Amino acid sequence: MAQRATRLPYGVGSISARWIVSAVLLAVVAIAGWYGWSREISQGMIVTGLRNIGPMGGATWGIDVVFVVYFVGVSFAGITVAALIRLAKLTALKPIARMAEALTVVSLVLAAFAIMYDLGQPLRGIVNLFRYARPQSPFFGTFTLVISGYLIASLVYLYLDGRRDAAECAKAPGRLQWFHRLWAAGYRDTPAERERHDRASFWLAIAIVPLLITAHSTLGFVFGLQVGRPGWYSALQAPAFVLLAGVSGLGMLIVIAAVVRRTVTDRSHLPDEVFRWLGNALMILLLAYLYFMVVELLTNIYTGAERERDVTGQLISGDFAWIYWSSVAAFVVSLGLLIVRFVRKSAAVGLLVTAGVLVNLAAIGKRYLTVIPSQTHGTLLPYETGSYAPTWVEYIEVIGLFAFGALLLTLFAKLFPIMPVKDGDAA
Amino acid sequence: MTRKVLALGMVVAGFALQAVAYLFLATPIGKPTDVSFSNPRVPFAPVLFILGVVLVFLAALVYELLPDRRASRSGNEEG
Repeated sequence: MAQRATRLPYGVGSISARWIVSAVLLAVVAIAGWYGWSREISQGMIVTGLRNIGPMGGATWGIDVVFVVYFVGVSFAGITVAALIRLAKLTALKPIARMAEALTVVSLVLAAFAIMYDLGQPLRGIVNLFRYARPQSPFFGTFTLVISGYLIASLVYLYLDGRRDAAECAKAPGRLQWFHRLWAAGYRDTPAERERHDRASFWLAIAIVPLLITAHSTLGFVFGLQVGRPGWYSALQAPAFVLLAGVSGLGMLIVIAAVVRRTVTDRSHLPDEVFRWLGNALMILLLAYLYFMVVELLTNIYTGAERERDVTGQLISGDFAWIYWSSVAAFVVSLGLLIVRFVRKSAAVGLLVTAGVLVNLAAIGKRYLTVIPSQTHGTLLPYETGSYAPTWVEYIEVIGLFAFGALLLTLFAKLFPIMPVKDGDAA
Repeated sequence: MTRKVLALGMVVAGFALQAVAYLFLATPIGKPTDVSFSNPRVPFAPVLFILGVVLVFLAALVYELLPDRRASRSGNEEG
């Protein structure tokens, strides 16, 4: 019998010259990032722009920490969307469930790398974290829940959710058949297996939602509970972290979904309805986050604490004003685009992608403003004002991380269907 | 049935391990009087907490992957 139907869905297993060139380029940039890290390990933190707070007039947390917060934030939306699809039965969003799960896993891996970049002695840091992590510290929750529990939960969810498609793909003979068989692990798509999967993923989703709210809140507490650091100490930090995480993650998900839609031949697999949902969700989250920003700004301006006002002054009219107002502008323009799309009641993928990119740039700016100014301008002791300028090592590390993330996602899309397989798509 | 019991057992054990590791092994008990209160009471207690979290989620894998004895038996009979 002729093996006519050996093509796997969504371009899985088919590698074009263009894809190879893209993958090689991404790999080169990722390796350049690791080269930067090797400089840091071999020569010490002196190759970075990081210096002690106070006497050395610097910041001990730089752009690596900015991107830890950013990547953990991006991971939030992925698994939230996947869990909500299951819990709220949002069938319209089903096509993006897999890419959302993959985005979460990749973002958490990138966040873990960014933490390693920030540590002068990564190995010592990891061992001591396991040995001495203090339950009283928000770091305990952040690193135990986010990097371990959250990553494991996302991997388990991604794996179990993909078994049905893996079994479907394993029917097609080819180089990847062994991989799909391994993933399927004997899954035969019987009614009993489907029911079992529905039950398991329902409870998994129920367990994941509180975990991710807790995990993201503890990341906010890392900053929000520091009484002696003006600019950080705020009850709004934790909820604002969760909201901005949702904004940046949804923005990134829109961009990825649009890229996938361009690559699949049949656009009915990723209909306009998906983008409408994502656009509406992003608009609501963005509105809520902008409200938080206004409340935070007004509270800090009216506060009696002098140092608090100093830091806020730096944000709105000082050294950091260009980042602050650029971020605000990007948020406002994104909101405008989303409202235009909402009023027109169309998918307007182009507008959504622009909004998605803008909110991510703005989120990076806001994360920078959360991490840096309070260290350089927020000391309560009578030190001179500090400064922080990242070096090429830090820049290349971060650029390398983005390339590594894109490489992981593109590799995943070549190994496994990036969207759920419909009946008849495989084999 | 065994599969369900095992998965449920893992969930319960995972939550119990988290509670014990966090409240009794990691959190210093009493009024902080010296520097030792900065560390967990038992070194590596955070690892146990992480294992507890991981155990809960791995229960889902056990629940789905472990073959159903009754189903496989009836499958064999049919075969």
